[in-house]
Amino acid sequence: MKNNVRCLILAMLLSSSAVYAVDAPEGAQAKSTANKSSAANRDWSWQPVANSGAPEVQQKKWVRTPIDAFVLSKLEEKGIKPSPEAARAAYIRRATLDAWGLIPTTAEVEAFVNDKSPDAYEKLVDRLLSSPRYGERQARKWLDLARYADSTGFQNDYTRPNMWRYRDYVINSFNEDKPYDRFIKEQLAGDELYPGDNNALIATGFLAGFPDNKNSRDLIQRKYQIATDITDTIGTAILGTTLECARCHNHKSDKITQKDYFALHSFFANVNLVENIPAPKGPVEIQYEQDLAKWEAATKELREKRAAVIEPIRAAAEQYHRERYLTDSRESIFKPKSEWNATDRWVHHRLANVTTEEDFGGYLRVTGENKDSPEHIKEHAEKWLEYKKLTAELKKLDKLKPKRGSNTISAMTELGYQDAPPSYVFFGGNHERPLDEVQPAFPAAITSEKPVIVPTGFSSGRRTALANWIVSPTNPLTARVFVNRVWDQYFGTGIVRTVSDFGRAGEKPNNPELLDYLADSFVKQGWSVKKLHKEILLSSVYRQSSDYREDIYKADPENKLLAVFPRKRLDAEQIRDSLLVASGTLDDRIGGPAVMPPVPTNLNAGAFWEVSEDKGDWNRRSIYVFTRRSVPYPLLSTFDMASPQQAHSKRDVTTTPLQALTLVNSNVVFGWSQSLAGRVISEVGADESAQLDKLYEILFARKPDKAERATLAGFLKNHEKTIQSKLKDSDGKLALAVPVGLKGDQPLDPVRASAFVDLVHTVANSNEFSYRF
Amino acid sequence: MSKNSRRDFLIKAGYGLGGITLSGLLPGGGMLATVANAATLGDPLAPKATHFPAKVKSVIWLHMDGAPSTIDLYDYKPDLIKLAGQPIPASFLKGIKTSTRGGAEKLYVSNRTWKQHGESGAWFSDLLPNLAQHADKIAFVKSSVTIGATHDISILKLNTGDLNPGRPSLGAWIQYALGSANSDLPAYVVLYSGDREPTGGSVNWSSGFLPAVYQGTAFRPGPSPILHLDRPELIAEAQQRDNLDLLKRLNEHHSGFYPGDTELKARLNAYELAYRMESAAPEAVDLSKESDATKELYGLNEEATRDYGTNMLRARRLVERGVRFIQVVSGPAIGAGDRRNWDAHQDLEDNHGAHAKAVDKPIAGLLADLKARGLLDSTLIVWASEFGRTSYGESGTGRDHNPWGYTQWLAGGGIKAGTTFGQTDEVGLQAVGDQTMDTYDLHATVLQLLGLDHLKTTFLHNGRSERPTVVYGQVIKELLV
Repeated sequence: MKNNVRCLILAMLLSSSAVYAVDAPEGAQAKSTANKSSAANRDWSWQPVANSGAPEVQQKKWVRTPIDAFVLSKLEEKGIKPSPEAARAAYIRRATLDAWGLIPTTAEVEAFVNDKSPDAYEKLVDRLLSSPRYGERQARKWLDLARYADSTGFQNDYTRPNMWRYRDYVINSFNEDKPYDRFIKEQLAGDELYPGDNNALIATGFLAGFPDNKNSRDLIQRKYQIATDITDTIGTAILGTTLECARCHNHKSDKITQKDYFALHSFFANVNLVENIPAPKGPVEIQYEQDLAKWEAATKELREKRAAVIEPIRAAAEQYHRERYLTDSRESIFKPKSEWNATDRWVHHRLANVTTEEDFGGYLRVTGENKDSPEHIKEHAEKWLEYKKLTAELKKLDKLKPKRGSNTISAMTELGYQDAPPSYVFFGGNHERPLDEVQPAFPAAITSEKPVIVPTGFSSGRRTALANWIVSPTNPLTARVFVNRVWDQYFGTGIVRTVSDFGRAGEKPNNPELLDYLADSFVKQGWSVKKLHKEILLSSVYRQSSDYREDIYKADPENKLLAVFPRKRLDAEQIRDSLLVASGTLDDRIGGPAVMPPVPTNLNAGAFWEVSEDKGDWNRRSIYVFTRRSVPYPLLSTFDMASPQQAHSKRDVTTTPLQALTLVNSNVVFGWSQSLAGRVISEVGADESAQLDKLYEILFARKPDKAERATLAGFLKNHEKTIQSKLKDSDGKLALAVPVGLKGDQPLDPVRASAFVDLVHTVANSNEFSYRF
Repeated sequence: MSKNSRRDFLIKAGYGLGGITLSGLLPGGGMLATVANAATLGDPLAPKATHFPAKVKSVIWLHMDGAPSTIDLYDYKPDLIKLAGQPIPASFLKGIKTSTRGGAEKLYVSNRTWKQHGESGAWFSDLLPNLAQHADKIAFVKSSVTIGATHDISILKLNTGDLNPGRPSLGAWIQYALGSANSDLPAYVVLYSGDREPTGGSVNWSSGFLPAVYQGTAFRPGPSPILHLDRPELIAEAQQRDNLDLLKRLNEHHSGFYPGDTELKARLNAYELAYRMESAAPEAVDLSKESDATKELYGLNEEATRDYGTNMLRARRLVERGVRFIQVVSGPAIGAGDRRNWDAHQDLEDNHGAHAKAVDKPIAGLLADLKARGLLDSTLIVWASEFGRTSYGESGTGRDHNPWGYTQWLAGGGIKAGTTFGQTDEVGLQAVGDQTMDTYDLHATVLQLLGLDHLKTTFLHNGRSERPTVVYGQVIKELLV
């Protein structure tokens, strides 16, 4: 019971009384499968990708891309007709939300609807894919998998001031259409493979994003847990394999042994987090250094004085601090440098990185504060008081510290040595119970290939070998898992629905030929992500209408065959960012340090959430909002934002009263509605009918129908009365919420204008806005 | 689309689940989804059946933040007093890894007087005079064990069962498994004292890999406990009602084009629930209608006990309103010195004096009040902490962390009151004997009292059937009637 195991018994637990049904999972599975499947069939995802070519279909005219033939062929087998094409306005709203994560502007909708050229769709898709908005949206999907955060997590939840560089790297990679194989290689081993390339160093932020508690007194355990986090993240995100199940025991459903697990784990035995690599000087770095210089100048004297207090006792303080680590950490810590092995180097690097001047102050406090303490040292009493005073004065100057940015790069890399610490199979996953030593290797059941490890000048070379295998043609998982994620993104469910479990406990592909076609053509087209997106966006499958069809509802209630385009609730970021677009307040600057928009005052997050000074930052896209592991940004977290604690495979869709409260009551959201109301009036003037048209065009890319128009007009009339009586009750003292950002000086009836704000706010709250159809 | 997808998917995938209802819900929340899908979920908070009849409806989970020294509160050790000042005999340290400065220090005893209370004769120190009056309502576990040397990871384990963030907290599991008994309020509420949320705290009430709808809702101090509960400043209630009526018409009109789409309908419903919550939540924490006697009972009249007493009284009101799980994190105590929490590495006398005072009367008041209102039999109260503190001293006046043997207790419905489970060695450092309770066992026991089998309370996540007790956990039957 001594371990922090996440590993589990199988899904089969669900069945009746089988409490530990783990011994017979295959039996349980066989029962449910009509034909006993062969091992090869069950391990389908490990078989080579086989592109059988597009099937023959009858409705040849419907086939715009090979994708369509694969989908249509299944429909024709069932005698089902695909849906008609979606209206152009519906299509551009859908495609813009999917590719950019934003609703389109009215001008964009109009231009597309009126584009009579034969390649109107292709031009639109090319425009979508060449915009930086595309990279911002696609990066968010990847960051979910990379358990991206701007802080370490755990109780102290320190800011990681360099992580935004990794986030920008991911955005840029999608925008540049970096080949996916290169993208993976950079993230796993960029430091080894592309020496001298800062971007490749930053890319290892994928590894460096592990949750961390810097105050851990057990450094050996930390080392183990960090490598575990990395191994499991790669398993989930890239390989779609539940490797973590094999940490404590052999995998219960897939043929992955504990030895396989720790052989993979060992590729990361020698990686360390290095956070102080100088960054090239751009505007952010220059600004940061200017700000830092101000703080340094203002605090120079105080810091020197404080250092002078510590200096005579530094050795004792350091000794004291080091003694507070656990037994096995201390073995490394107190070993003479000449005797260090690879593990000791790791421990010392970590120790140096987590030890601060404050730790030495801690010693002074213990020995100086309380004269009744047996540890009390008389001469320290005064020193402690002096130290305390100086620290308090320094703290007052904290406000001068740079608020954002950094001048350094963080990377996961190695420390200049080719040898790595030994790796073991651990009994029950308990790192204090090593069994056999293991060497880096790939899972034997997936491949017979052996890693070819060539040490570099500064590192073990292990990660290069792993990265090369992960993206090699002999590994069919990587491409399959990725194309399936993209499919899932567009159609709401993957071809394999369990997007991060391609193993036996996961689901099988419902259209295996399509999956393999996509994987094969993805690799053949140079792992181009944009080409993959383009083919999907231009397919007839994607261009279908989402209108309800009674026949499909009966014949295929889950819409597995995609005879209707599936509607989808917007992700948290799509909702917020689209509201920003609608209200005309989006600040579309790309990249840079994370921002902190205002939060409700009763969030009580203290120093963990210091609202950005630049108000423009408040309206940046959600991907730039600071991800504090312990304080998720409320507006997004309510709408099922990704949890950054582990690789997040897929967004949940829940519908809750707290979401309704957020959209109805948040002053921020209400403010956007006021801006949207102002924008509508500015654009079309006082005519009510024109206002309603414009509002619907902005939010839904359509005009209101007759019934809606009547409902809205009726509402305005009644609502004016409600507001009038509110004013009467309050003797006219109560202020009204009116449209903001009006251009020109249009005469406004404040009551009517206030009623219109409420109308706008309510329409923005309606289902149609939070969904894409 | 995906109307009934998960249901069908799982049946076809052969998890041996015939006859699942349309909503895809099983007793104990066996909701069959790897990813929540509002359409199949219907109402994710709809009440769900238990595995067997529940003994209690609600749990009040008192997390003593910072780890109190239970050998200074409950676990009376005459030998510790005798041996105080001497180095701890090596035999007591067998099998444990100590961290402080390479070894343990001298045995330490604080300035306590001890007495037995009630018919059960349970020992209490002078730090908890009020709680001592309720000795016979309590079942003690004097042999709690856990993992960890630092607070954050052990607090995580106490609440989620893992040393790393990512797993659902116990309250999230319960909300998931039982749904809500009062749709006007969240079913899982977190209360904390002071004006700051506990640092890094929210992972301790996170839903982990469960859908976010199951996470704990932190009730903020003050009259408006939930974020975004108040209408925008310039919007009157009648105005908002108009707006919601319009919203309903618009949504009904629109969803008319998508018959059978339960997700769109659920969203319509959520706005009405939100509207009701706007008044129900402030009402739930509004103590103005409580009698003076009640306020006095909880210590609201005294500065030292007001904060915690307010939370205890709020907890009782939440229990009355059907909230399933109320997680109360103890807060800073009033007064000089380092009193953020119970973490008394030094000056234990001062620290524990203040913290014991802050919680003693309020918890005693809660027990008395629940009893008087007939609610004690349907409520479970758990005193829990991330670990205890060592028998040997630290800094001469404090104690270090002790995950090897410490006291926690349970009281309320289904609990064998007046008993003690397990024991520590003669100096109160390590649990000895067969009877020990790890956090997983505590979780299993709490779930059992709520009518849930911890082995069958499962959620399919990434192809694995996860449960609240990870791969561990045993119900401690000795604690149950």
